[in-house]
Amino acid sequence: MRRPGDLGLAGWVFLSPWLISFLVFGLYPIAASFLLSFRDYSPLSAGPSPYVGLANYAEALRDGTFWHALRNTLFFTFGTLPFTTAIALGLAVCLDRAFPGRTIFRAGFFLPTVVSVVVLSIVFRGLYAPDGPLTGLFQAFGVRAPLLDPRTALPSIMAMDVWAASGYYMVIFLAGLKSIPGELYESAALDGAGSWRRFVGITLPMLRPTFLFVLVVNTIRSLQIFTEVFIMTRGGPLDSTLTVVYYLYDQAFYRFRLGYASAVAYLLFAVTLAIALLQMRWLKLAGAKE
Amino acid sequence: MRRWIAIAALAACAAGCGGKSGGKQQVVFWQFWPTATVTPIVERFEKENPDLDVVVEQLTWQAGQEKIAAAVASGKVPDLVALGSTWFPAFAHQGALADWTDSSATLQDSLRLWPMASMDGRVYGLPWLGGTRALFYNKELFARAGIDSSKGPETWTELFAACQKVNALGGGVSGYGANAGERYVLFKKFMPYAWSNGGTILSDDMKRVTFDSPANVVALRFYLALAAAGRTDQQAAIDLAFKQGKIGCVLSGAWLLKQIPKDAPELRYGVCLVPRPDTGRHLSFAGGEILSTFAKSANPTGAWRLARFLTRADNALVIAREQKSVQPAAVMPADDAYFLSHPEERVFLDQLASAVPTPNHPEWGRMEAAIETAVEEALYKRLTPEKAVAQAAHEIQAALASPQASSSSPRPGAR
Repeated sequence: MRRPGDLGLAGWVFLSPWLISFLVFGLYPIAASFLLSFRDYSPLSAGPSPYVGLANYAEALRDGTFWHALRNTLFFTFGTLPFTTAIALGLAVCLDRAFPGRTIFRAGFFLPTVVSVVVLSIVFRGLYAPDGPLTGLFQAFGVRAPLLDPRTALPSIMAMDVWAASGYYMVIFLAGLKSIPGELYESAALDGAGSWRRFVGITLPMLRPTFLFVLVVNTIRSLQIFTEVFIMTRGGPLDSTLTVVYYLYDQAFYRFRLGYASAVAYLLFAVTLAIALLQMRWLKLAGAKE
Repeated sequence: MRRWIAIAALAACAAGCGGKSGGKQQVVFWQFWPTATVTPIVERFEKENPDLDVVVEQLTWQAGQEKIAAAVASGKVPDLVALGSTWFPAFAHQGALADWTDSSATLQDSLRLWPMASMDGRVYGLPWLGGTRALFYNKELFARAGIDSSKGPETWTELFAACQKVNALGGGVSGYGANAGERYVLFKKFMPYAWSNGGTILSDDMKRVTFDSPANVVALRFYLALAAAGRTDQQAAIDLAFKQGKIGCVLSGAWLLKQIPKDAPELRYGVCLVPRPDTGRHLSFAGGEILSTFAKSANPTGAWRLARFLTRADNALVIAREQKSVQPAAVMPADDAYFLSHPEERVFLDQLASAVPTPNHPEWGRMEAAIETAVEEALYKRLTPEKAVAQAAHEIQAALASPQASSSSPRPGAR
């Protein structure tokens, strides 16, 4: 008699391609970098890397630049999250209805997801350039070039991120909308509920699992923002776009302080975990099925 | 049947071609130039050295440093590597590179830029190619603004006057192109003025901070004045604007000499040395590439012979000629035919002769960041020039006093 959860040999064989690559390229580096975070390790150093205990963590917590990077990262995350979610939901609701050309719109809004972030960043760097196509628009707000002004550099990258990410979450919301039984809307309509009442009373509560997924996934992704910064500003001007991952990249690969960078990575992990748990509790779904 | 033979032959080659072929010793060489440029040089080397077989691998500037660091960490290092001068101190400091102090002693007079390849008085590589910054100016804008366009500005006074006049032309034209908004660049654009004005960063023994000086404050004030008579932007955008004929003067690299004929063949421009203060010199920033071998390399003698060959004036000139962005580190004869017929590149060669390499200090990364932050704070008017220079000096002092770079292993030369 096979117990549930017992995969049998065939099960393990079928799992093995993913499992092996996860163990080698996922779990091993995660564990190794955790151990590294307690050491003073440089890849260039021929000698042993001394154990330094919690010194790397202590240094990060004392380092103003780390806190500055964390503030930027949190500002980025919570500044984009509401917009991305609202726009994605709005698009999903609009594109859930049948109308001619619907597929074209869906594909169009999803398109940025398919394009490499590097390409998007280079294109937007051009859009934001002082002599770029949008200069007139920015000048109306008293900004000559958004990426060169410490006040607007980070919001400019955030705007691009909202634009690029909304389409992806739109598709997830569309899938969520499909799972809501049509009878609910019918009976609500019979009871005289208008479209706004149906949206607030049925759509939003029924989308709760989708919301949780979108919030958590988007938060984790946003907290790890790196590529856009790397391509567009390299953390500048005046560190106004310095994020935690860019900071740790700089420490690891320009200063060769891999132990310290690993500690920063684990601090970011702790922050991410705490925020994700709060979000789950907030949506009262902590114990629910995925 | 024939197909099977072909496959068998391929398999045999895959097994045998990788290692030593025909009794030749392999030299693995990692570098950044396009293979089309490097291969002919390497082929000539192999002809002159029939016992050596060079395997060239091309790295990218984006991922190269990570790849070299990973190679050192895993012990699978190439025999010869080209290191960017900004990366050099980290590798040399941690004992990864082989000490070439004794073997390179006879080359002291035939190559320049030795400080770039040395640390704590020991030599860890041969200077191969040098890159510097010089002043590009737009002759057409100069003429329109009523400035003599037959030669570039010689002094700060002339430069500032020219930038102001060009800036006054209006119509989207800027007098000067100043850098901001990205890391690792601004430093190279500000320090030429500071060095020309007699400013320094560290004392010669690298034990004291000398950055907080009136000379540097004056240079920063001058840089801010230039920025005010022009635009502030990222490097790529400044280069583009210059090629579009929208910038009067800009400090840039020799890569523009290759780009301009391709992107803006109509542009009438000139190149001159970094303008000097009324009492000062034309000093610029020196970067470049150093050829080094690792302490753990399999074929150090082969690496040395290849490095020696590549750094020879005629061979380094091949790369300079085709790529333009660098000049040979080798001392060129004053009447070299190529440079006589290419005056713009000649300016870069002359500028390189007096250019200042960055100090090879293990904490250099922090010091450079400190200077860039301070200059940028001044550009954004958050700090006065005096306070910015003082703040940078304070940060550099902190880097000297409490080093962060790992130094767990003794350097080979220090033993």
